[in-house]
Amino acid sequence: MVWGVAEERAEPVVFTGTRRELGGTLVRGYGFMLPTIGLYRFWLTSWKRRFYWSNTEIGGDCLEYTGNAVQLLLGFLMAVAIFLPIYVVFFYLSTLSSDAAVIGYGGVAILIWFMMGYAIYRARDFRLSRTLWRGIRLDQAGSAWGYALRRFGWSLAMIATLGLIYPLMAANLWRYRYSNSWFGDRQFSFVGHWRQLAGPYYLSYVLVAVIGGTGVAMSSFVGTTITNLSGIVPTLAAAVPVGLIVLFYQSRELTRMFSAVRLGQAALTVRVSMFGLLGPYIRFGFAVIGAYVVLAIGGFVVLNALAGDAFAGGTFSLAIFMQHMQGSFTTLAAIIFGYLLLLGAFTMMSELFLGLGYWKLIASNASVSGLDSLTDVRARAEDKALAGEGLADALNVGSY
Amino acid sequence: MAIAARYHDGFVADSRAVGLEYASFVDTAALVILDAENGTEITRWDATDLYSVHGRKDELRLAANGQTDGARVVVRGQQNVARVLATLPLLTKKRREETGRQVRIAATATLALASVIGAYLIGVPLLASRLVWLVPPAWEESLGDTVGTQMEAALGLTDGMQICDPDPYSLANRAITRFGNAAMEGSGSPFTLDISVVKSDIPNAFALPGGRVYFFSALLDLAETQDEFAGVLAHEVGHVAHRHGMEQLISTAGTGALIGFILGDLTGISVAAGLGATIIDARFSRDAERQADAFAAQVANRMDFHPAGLAELIARVGEDDDFARAMALLSTHPLTSDRRIALEKLGQMRPTGLEPPFTTAEWTAIKAMCGPAGAP
Repeated sequence: MVWGVAEERAEPVVFTGTRRELGGTLVRGYGFMLPTIGLYRFWLTSWKRRFYWSNTEIGGDCLEYTGNAVQLLLGFLMAVAIFLPIYVVFFYLSTLSSDAAVIGYGGVAILIWFMMGYAIYRARDFRLSRTLWRGIRLDQAGSAWGYALRRFGWSLAMIATLGLIYPLMAANLWRYRYSNSWFGDRQFSFVGHWRQLAGPYYLSYVLVAVIGGTGVAMSSFVGTTITNLSGIVPTLAAAVPVGLIVLFYQSRELTRMFSAVRLGQAALTVRVSMFGLLGPYIRFGFAVIGAYVVLAIGGFVVLNALAGDAFAGGTFSLAIFMQHMQGSFTTLAAIIFGYLLLLGAFTMMSELFLGLGYWKLIASNASVSGLDSLTDVRARAEDKALAGEGLADALNVGSY
Repeated sequence: MAIAARYHDGFVADSRAVGLEYASFVDTAALVILDAENGTEITRWDATDLYSVHGRKDELRLAANGQTDGARVVVRGQQNVARVLATLPLLTKKRREETGRQVRIAATATLALASVIGAYLIGVPLLASRLVWLVPPAWEESLGDTVGTQMEAALGLTDGMQICDPDPYSLANRAITRFGNAAMEGSGSPFTLDISVVKSDIPNAFALPGGRVYFFSALLDLAETQDEFAGVLAHEVGHVAHRHGMEQLISTAGTGALIGFILGDLTGISVAAGLGATIIDARFSRDAERQADAFAAQVANRMDFHPAGLAELIARVGEDDDFARAMALLSTHPLTSDRRIALEKLGQMRPTGLEPPFTTAEWTAIKAMCGPAGAP
């Protein structure tokens, strides 16, 4: 054993993946998305997870993602089966009188909000049960319905208390997730407490209320009309500090809650700062601007080559341009392709800079102590009951 | 020399430094896993059972059939990985087979999805036109009320549509009702027509589910002849007779579900879904427009007005430009020029000696319904 007898020594988590490698995976994945009418997304998700998992090294050994695309595809088909009836209800409601439709839509929205809790939990279960470290599988017990009920109840309380109850909710949900997680035959535990969140949360709450309130109040004082947009300025000016305060709070919650995760004698420590969280957003902003400038230049060059005379004399002539497009199909294909390029560039940058940035930030600021105590953890029987995480996919809640 | 690797037995969460050796006999070969410190054999995996699972770059993760699910041998470094792969060509072959399997699954799934889409594109409009006759007329009428209320709200009319001539027994209204009923005759429609000429600056006319038809005063002002007015009115009656409003609703619901399925976004919020749905719906409503035109042409076989007048009036509202031509796939209306040609053709074989739809006195009364025309 390399890490000797000192039990208290914390092993840093190491992330070895590069942006370039993930970029290659994404470009290839988006390329395959077209001929497969979007179905390749299940394979792309699997490749992305293999990248993230296999490059995350704890105590010298990498995680392994054992899930595959077919499982995700099956889960998605199941979600379709659940969603079709909801869709029919939606359709029926849209034909009713306005009042009934509004009440009906509200009911469906509440149902979806509830189902999201279920989906989040199931998706987490799917990912954990397909994660291997040192040959031992992780798993999640507990009830997804129970989690959905808790989350739903807490969100009602959030509304009733204008968000003041948030620290209790957050700590409770973190506890439920982690105390129901398993590594082999050993159960995780969670030692966090809502009081650890109370300080930063209420401080941020008051600051956001004061700064945001001032900004909005000044805007309404100046008055905003279509012709005079200067009234928006105070609101926009308030948005920057409010955004920073939100990031500050997030950094406190992530630090304190992750650092409360225990696995027997092993303990996780994570330290992230507000600026650490801000970095990926700033890089993402520059990356999107850069990508769009490149696309715009590329698009201009291509159009100029195809229909040079439409741009003759420094002005753009729609009539000449349309002659070049030779009928509606070419134009439509060009519009769709252009749209897909813009969309692809955006999602790619958000994956490369926000997704990867966040994962790297957490991983490289995490360490685990007491790893030696884990050498006698034993494997449990395989949990094969889970087919995909379709509902989460359909509701767009599963990010990794 | 043994290749350095790490070994997890899959029973306990341990990680051992090991050395790998390749042992081959007459008919069998095996990967021998040796303890790195003292060189004793820990276990050996039969070469035919071995397969590789996905690992990071320059890392080879080996598993074997017959071992526990989590049992792994992990080889690191480009050179070591290359040595193992050179010794065990079966690994590369199995990896290729697995890739082939995934490609086949993806291709099959894509084909299945493509055929579902194909069936949908043909099936939904067909199905919608059949399903629509299963919808109880009473429900469609109440739906028409809802749509009417929403339409009034969207047009900013707080106290409802302002009907030009509220007296149903006036000369103009009686003439219009008579025309509508005559147009509907023989269509087997369960609805009673309710045609209203309403005050509005927008030159438009439309039919709601359940038999209500609105004709806006701005369009009436633009109409120069009986043929034009009767043509548009007969066209709208055609929508009612074919129950296009309801059909469209069913079709839109169907395409929405399909697009959501393709993009995996069942809540249907993404722009791409909207674009796809627009193309399918636009195609569908262009067919509906053609059907309504054909209906108007049939009515013109019983009354003396030229159906091409319909296209004349539409042409006056808005001429097709290059952009409209380019966007034809996305547009819900066929190009006016195409419609005019089709209507001219339909109007060629009309019998002679028919009565005009309105008498001169009636047509004058209709033109005057909304007061003096705003436009010259």
